[in-house]
Amino acid sequence: MKTKKWKNWLVAGVILSSLTACSTGGSGSNAGESDYPKKPITVVAPSGAGGGWDLTARSLTKILGETKTVDQTMTVENKPGGGGAVYLAEFATQHKKDDYKLYVNSPPILINNLKKEGNSPYGFKDTTPLAQLTKDFGAIVVKEDSKYNNLKELMEAVKNDPKSVTAAGGSAPGSMDHLVAVLPAYKSDIDPKTVKYVSYDGGGEAIAALLGGNADYIATDASAVGEYLKAGKVKVLGISSTERLKGDLADVPTFKEAGIDADFTIWRGVFGPKEMSDSAVAYWDKTLKKLNESKEWQDELERNGWESEFKDGKEFETFLKDQEKQVEDLLKSLGMNK
Amino acid sequence: MGVMDFLMQGFQTAIQPQNLFFAFIGVLIGTAVGVLPGIGPMSGVALLIPVTATFTSGMDPSAAATSSIILLAGVYYGAMYGGSTTSILLNTPGESSSVVTTLDGYQMARQGRAGAALSIAAIGSFFAGIVSIIGLVLLADPLSEMALKFGPAEYFSLMLLGLAAVSGLAGGSITKAWMMTVTGLLIATIGIDAVSGVARFTYDIPVLFGGLEFLTVAVGLFALGEVFKTILHKEEDAEKVAKVGRVLPSRADLKESAGPIARGSFLGFFIGVLPGAGATLASFFSYIAEKKISKNPEKFGKGAIAGVAAPESANNAASGGAMIPLLTLGIPGSGTTAILMGALIMYNVQPGPLLFSDHPDVAWGLIASMFIGNLMLLILNMPLVKVFAKIIETPAKYLLPIIIAISVFGVYAVQVTTFDLFLLIGFGLAGYLLAQNDYPIAPLVLGLVLGPMIENNMRRALTTSNGDFMVFVQQPISAFFLVCAVLWILIPFVLRLKGKNVVVNVEG
Repeated sequence: MKTKKWKNWLVAGVILSSLTACSTGGSGSNAGESDYPKKPITVVAPSGAGGGWDLTARSLTKILGETKTVDQTMTVENKPGGGGAVYLAEFATQHKKDDYKLYVNSPPILINNLKKEGNSPYGFKDTTPLAQLTKDFGAIVVKEDSKYNNLKELMEAVKNDPKSVTAAGGSAPGSMDHLVAVLPAYKSDIDPKTVKYVSYDGGGEAIAALLGGNADYIATDASAVGEYLKAGKVKVLGISSTERLKGDLADVPTFKEAGIDADFTIWRGVFGPKEMSDSAVAYWDKTLKKLNESKEWQDELERNGWESEFKDGKEFETFLKDQEKQVEDLLKSLGMNK
Repeated sequence: MGVMDFLMQGFQTAIQPQNLFFAFIGVLIGTAVGVLPGIGPMSGVALLIPVTATFTSGMDPSAAATSSIILLAGVYYGAMYGGSTTSILLNTPGESSSVVTTLDGYQMARQGRAGAALSIAAIGSFFAGIVSIIGLVLLADPLSEMALKFGPAEYFSLMLLGLAAVSGLAGGSITKAWMMTVTGLLIATIGIDAVSGVARFTYDIPVLFGGLEFLTVAVGLFALGEVFKTILHKEEDAEKVAKVGRVLPSRADLKESAGPIARGSFLGFFIGVLPGAGATLASFFSYIAEKKISKNPEKFGKGAIAGVAAPESANNAASGGAMIPLLTLGIPGSGTTAILMGALIMYNVQPGPLLFSDHPDVAWGLIASMFIGNLMLLILNMPLVKVFAKIIETPAKYLLPIIIAISVFGVYAVQVTTFDLFLLIGFGLAGYLLAQNDYPIAPLVLGLVLGPMIENNMRRALTTSNGDFMVFVQQPISAFFLVCAVLWILIPFVLRLKGKNVVVNVEG
């Protein structure tokens, strides 16, 4: 739908500019040569300094500046609150035409919009998705001496007696870790509501709970478990990717290989305001593609331990629609949907 | 190789000129970060990561990692030294971990003993820093195992013990203290409940989803409350401009502080090891404990030097203790250690079970540099005491606008919403009214800190045990804390029934 709208604007722009010289209707008929950006650009991380969104925003501005891909100054602004929901409300209402504001987010932009409690009335549809930059996956992890050796066994145990198995994760119920924790159960015909999920403050505390024997399995980011696996402290039973990962987790089966027909990508991406001008959209489309192809960006990703996955605005939007459906189904099965 | 050999190697790394330089820069910036409210250690460290990356770009990866982590850790514990300054001088806590320092520190400053308060804070921090590093060297492994054993049930009981001890923060009336505690607990329920995901008292206002920020509440109640009081009671206070007395603590001060510093260091260190508990709790606990065992508990809240020495030692020791789960398990116990961890990962050094075997140079270099950094901080801070102490001589008409500006700036820098500024003013008014009517403020703040931890851990424990309350008494550590909590409340009453003359905090 959005694409159609762009085209309408494009057409309108072309017609208007051909009709009158002082057209302001659509500045973007010749996106490549437009004078955007004319002012400094602000990238908003809707969290405090130091979180994943913040680091993504800072890496993005740093590399775009260092490689002179963007001539204008780019600054990062932290707007914490409501798991990103507080600033999204501002972004979707007050800044919806501001071409100089970008917004960094990840699956919570979908989840917050769909869940019942702590609902954010705004979602990705109130923005212009510009690009997905990185990906990570969920991992189901047990302690090294756990009696469960694969995902099937674990799900079997949950099925037989849900009360006997404690799952944990680093985020609130109805949010990302919880969804990853119940995803295999949901696909194994177990009522996700019966899965005993204990939420901790952050992935670190969840791993501590696992190592201390206070949880039977945890769901967390795949990128965070490599070191514990290498040290022989944990077993990773499954990864929510479509194909095997490289590196430390190369021997870990995907959910599909472990007999669970599911996958879940934890992406990070950049969004523009909903009514971003066509010239600005085109500019970022080109610029972010160029960024992704640069060696500096790939090095930066590696330094942070992030996996590169680039989707341009259109692909990203299609992907978001798919994931939105998946999240909605999961939340429904948990009785936590809006 | 034994621990000592590793440590010696660490010192060889740490005394390389560039690493000494980095440690110095780190603690210098840390002191500034601590003194300025708003830029807490967390954002201070986060903002410096790219800067250090530039500094160290020419070095080989391992050396670069060591140098930057030395600098960033310096900022972290340096901020713990500096955090007390505004608490003592302006009644404005810069970090949540120095809230409790305001109780006696500010009173000392008003009595013209700002110098003594500031220097005892520095000395206590130094001692605590050294104790916690020695603890880190000797006890890292057993303690990290121990910290893992702390499950939800244990945390719940420990926090409950903290609440039972809240009477230690009471001023005139224990009833009023409990009322304030409950108010704090109630305020703490605002926001999205972390266990069930249910929104409470948010009225669909997104800015309330995250709950009320602790620092906003504390700065409002303490700093702005004091400002309102000074303005409204101008006449009575006008002639009382406190003179700075001697800058160094007297022999009596030192003698009085020795015990609190030692106990604060140990308590702080052990609480710091527990992920999630942190420096704030450590400072509260040590303050309460000191008041409890003091021969003159009535002096607390009126400028007792022990009330500054203990919490300031504890919060510094806690920052050392927090390095244990970070380095040995890769589990950050606080926001700041999470950012330090991010910095290490940036250099391809993964904190965790393999750190000490894979990167001994980084780990031991860091530990050795912490010894040196703490010494630098002591030397750096003592002369600054003289400078800072002069602030208290500033007439109120200049001082009040400064306090207001610092409070507003500090809160906005952390929260970046105007909502929090209104909240700040609201709590400032509340702080004034409460203080005027002899309601102690500290129990409210403690309730706000402990509330979510008590609740979340209780419910985590109950979820795991399928709703069986016995879980709290079946776990030995948890049972031990519960017994302590019960005794804490009961013993004074029993003693009084027996006719012994003990203070039961009815009078305080």
